Amino acid sequence: MRATPSAFVRCALLGFVVVIVQVSGLGTGRVLGGYLDLTPLVVAAVAIYGGSIAGAAMGFGVGLLLDLLVGGTMGASSLVLTAVGYGVGRYREIRDPAHELMPIPVGAAATFAWVVSFAVVSFMLEIEASVSVAVVREMIATTLLGAIFALPIFWICRRVLRPVLLVDPLDLRRRRRGPREAGPIGLRGLEI
Amino acid sequence: MYDSKVIRRRRAALAVFVALSIVMLTAYFGESSGGVFHTLQRGAQAAFAPFESGASRALKPARDLFGWFGDTFDAKGENEELRAEVESLRKELADADVARADARELRELVGLTDDEGFPQDTEPVTARIIGRSPTVWYSSINIDKGSSDGIRESMPVIASGGLIGKVTSVTGGTAQVRLITDSSSNVSAQVMPAGASGIVKPIVGKPDDLLLDHIAADRRVTEGARVATSGFATSRFESLFQRGIPIGRVTKVDAEELDEFQRVHIEPYADIREVDVVQILTERGVSTQAGVPFQ
Repeated sequence: MRATPSAFVRCALLGFVVVIVQVSGLGTGRVLGGYLDLTPLVVAAVAIYGGSIAGAAMGFGVGLLLDLLVGGTMGASSLVLTAVGYGVGRYREIRDPAHELMPIPVGAAATFAWVVSFAVVSFMLEIEASVSVAVVREMIATTLLGAIFALPIFWICRRVLRPVLLVDPLDLRRRRRGPREAGPIGLRGLEI
Repeated sequence: MYDSKVIRRRRAALAVFVALSIVMLTAYFGESSGGVFHTLQRGAQAAFAPFESGASRALKPARDLFGWFGDTFDAKGENEELRAEVESLRKELADADVARADARELRELVGLTDDEGFPQDTEPVTARIIGRSPTVWYSSINIDKGSSDGIRESMPVIASGGLIGKVTSVTGGTAQVRLITDSSSNVSAQVMPAGASGIVKPIVGKPDDLLLDHIAADRRVTEGARVATSGFATSRFESLFQRGIPIGRVTKVDAEELDEFQRVHIEPYADIREVDVVQILTERGVSTQAGVPFQ
């Protein structure tokens, strides 16, 4: 991702909208004991399209805004989402995934990493109350919901970020498509 | 392949963000509620309140649709429970009618005009929820009323007939409420009418199940009994909540033979995940009423 003012504005807009929507709208809608958490999906999407530095920065920013708005321990969400963004970004840089369904496993992994890591950080910091096993069910259900909603969220993020991307993973996939097997004999096997 | 400059920049960025997060964590724990980060949180909540309020209203249909899917899954099992509860409540209603008639006569006799049970020295202020914590580890909500509406820190907040939390921070037009399901919540409470006192604590991950702890093993607590705030006051400590605010109903009693205390499970009256509107009990004062609030 190009480090231009336009890129900053687009990422800031994405982060702002996702936190407001999460805090004001989707935080309490429950399905099968889990809830739809858009924050790790958006951080993962930015990391996949923008790389590890963009992912870490987005994770830090979204986590900071989340902590500010919900009154949680300052720094806890930032720490975890920074790690999630960086991790997804590094995955993209090392493996260069380009499959069209790539957002599903990436979204699921990012969501699972977020809920588990946040639970661990919360335990280490200040949880004094009893913890129910229902928490595990909630983590699994939230991860499943993350996987289900990953495709549209990644699609929206890609649309927003595309003008500032250096490399679009899905364009890479198109470029890698196999050579044409039809056409004039002299041109078969050539990508024209 | 990346050159060493790119690798260094990448690692430096990660180190900076992680270091900033850890500095914030450390500073947040070390400071008082008037510290820089707490003030920042209050400022951010006030600044973003209009966006949250607008988004909360705009997203209500989406939230309801999402909730509808979840409710549909749960409805089948809930139906049987509700049928049993309706039967039980019908019996209780009959008893309550008799008790209310008796109470009316007694009030006329002694010249009392106030309602029974609920704290008398409070003035409820109705507020709309504009933001909620999305994780189970921190249970808090943001509301659209603040100090300009008479809201102050530590005021109790109720919804759907039961206590749901207390105000933890206030700005001019908004306030933050820490729910009784938050992992740091402790509420002194009493089982009615038996009178056994304990501390209500949450079970993380189960907002519909609270624990009433520190009840002496020899105190008899029955399922279905009401639990309300005890509002205790000593020379050193005073409960934040007035006496008599309903919390929930006893669903199960864990009585271990070797334990000094028994653990009582409570189902809160308020469905905290579904609440959209709350009431803050303003004009806080320690209630001195000694009557039994709920029979």
